[in-house]
Amino acid sequence: MLPLEHLQTTMARAVLAVDPMIGARLLTAGNADPLARLSIYQNNTRSSLTAVLMAVFPVTVRLVDERFFRYAASEFIRRHPPTESRLAGYGAGFPRFLKSADTLSDMPIVAETARLEWAIAEALDAPSSQPRSLAEYDSTELGPSPDIVLQPSLRLIISHWSILSVWTAHQQEGPVDRNSAWTRRPERVALWRAGDSIRLVQLDRANFAFLHSLKHGLGLEHAADRALALDPGFDLVSALVRLFGDGLVTAMRAAANSHSNSWRQS
Amino acid sequence: MSGMFSPLAIPASAGIGLRSPHIAEMLTRRPSAGWLEVHAENYMGDGAGVQALEKLRQMYPLSVHGVGLSLGSAQGLDRDHLERLRKVCERFEPDLVSEHLAWSVADGAYLNDLLPLRYDEEALAIVARNVETVQDTLKRRVLIENLSAYLAFADSLMNEAEFLAALVARTGCGLLLDVNNVQVSAHNLQYDAKAFIDALPAEAIGEIHLAGHATNRVGTDTVLIDDHGSRVPPIVWTLYRHAIERLGPRPTLIEWDTDVPVLDVLLGEAMWADMLTASIMFNRRQAARREQTTEARATPIRIPIEGETTTSMPVLAAFAAARAARPSISLALPPLEEEYHAAA
Repeated sequence: MLPLEHLQTTMARAVLAVDPMIGARLLTAGNADPLARLSIYQNNTRSSLTAVLMAVFPVTVRLVDERFFRYAASEFIRRHPPTESRLAGYGAGFPRFLKSADTLSDMPIVAETARLEWAIAEALDAPSSQPRSLAEYDSTELGPSPDIVLQPSLRLIISHWSILSVWTAHQQEGPVDRNSAWTRRPERVALWRAGDSIRLVQLDRANFAFLHSLKHGLGLEHAADRALALDPGFDLVSALVRLFGDGLVTAMRAAANSHSNSWRQS
Repeated sequence: MSGMFSPLAIPASAGIGLRSPHIAEMLTRRPSAGWLEVHAENYMGDGAGVQALEKLRQMYPLSVHGVGLSLGSAQGLDRDHLERLRKVCERFEPDLVSEHLAWSVADGAYLNDLLPLRYDEEALAIVARNVETVQDTLKRRVLIENLSAYLAFADSLMNEAEFLAALVARTGCGLLLDVNNVQVSAHNLQYDAKAFIDALPAEAIGEIHLAGHATNRVGTDTVLIDDHGSRVPPIVWTLYRHAIERLGPRPTLIEWDTDVPVLDVLLGEAMWADMLTASIMFNRRQAARREQTTEARATPIRIPIEGETTTSMPVLAAFAAARAARPSISLALPPLEEEYHAAA
């Protein structure tokens, strides 16, 4: 008799249809054919995980049509089943999987849109901290280059393709003109969770670099330097007002170590 | 973190499974619902649902139901997942915590389904060890739920009910009796559903689940699929009545996971469960009273449910009518509903 661990491994592979060989003599199902009953488990796993992916990638589903999505999802599930039972993390590898699919090689927008949708899923699962207002720091000595801590749900995405335009066009019901909907045009997107919804904003190069530096804890001075290097007309005051106005700042404090100095030395 | 909420005890009456489409309505309407149950895995992150549940927890007693711990995995528990479950319990301070007698992780993959065990001494040792680890980590007793199954293992040396009884004796865990699962498995694997319920240690059963299932016909095989996608069917109500007659009132949950209907449908099903339990207990008291008046000496109480039609309440009349109705699956429910509306 097989040890239980071996039996479970054999059955798991059969359920995922990786190695469908399982001895029918191991199984019973009353008067029914046990291998036919095994297919119920195969179907449960495939359809429930496909539903998880369809919920995370709704625009991607519409871009490729549902039948193709289901096919791609079942291939993904078979090759990359979840490795943990908390499914909020399942689908992280799906955009890369789509990018590698030969069938989609002339539609790079599909994998790129999936990347945006995965960032949205991550943001929806991230904590939302109490936003701070600029007035709260009126009497605080912050030094020349304070650290600014942003909402933990903030995600920054850059793509060579018009992902935000495509995503936005698919938010309403009804047909979307596929040919005109996506173009090769760089789009930089910031997104974060506000309550139970997501806010998405398209940024120019300088503002994207500004947020990117702040998000990675490089401090205000470094962030402003990078933005100004990309665009001499970068307006730091407007950027800061917008940052607070969007509720993105959760803390501001005098820099413990000057990141800008260490960056300049390196 | 502990002590954030007042301890709300789950009553021995019906509650509903909280599903995301209903959260906003629950928060604004705050309908009368005995208690709520959530899937632990949906509240392991930091999304908006977590904050909503914190608000609901202030108003409703809560049960946390795990679906991903894979207590039957021979390779042992995923410690990270157990830690996440511990944090969910610490955060929401539920009155009940439950998981399944099943496995869903093997060969490094999570199958997102509950698979049956081979019921033997090896599996019992593994599950008992895993249940003890969970109870030690959570510092509480957990309830273990019977499974809906489409397959069994030829080499099982005991049945699922015997396995669960042995698990209770070995670990001190409680049981969650899913009546729909009993019906699904008993049909699919051809055993007696009532005998299954009777074989469980009654005092260990701390909660009951009710749900609907689908009926699929493949060739000559009629298989019941546990899809939680419809109203509780009459055959499951009948089995529930059998369970309540044996156990007395228990916390009873209405589960609905696919094609989730409007909230009022779930609340209505919960009301049915409460009314059925009330009618059983009412009949039991009536019967006891009659026995007391006709016989001076005390005798054990027998509960004469079948054929009992003398009731004074419209609700009980509805159940009497339902009982008298032909046991046709599709026809038994409508008269109940008509009577319910008439009585309301």
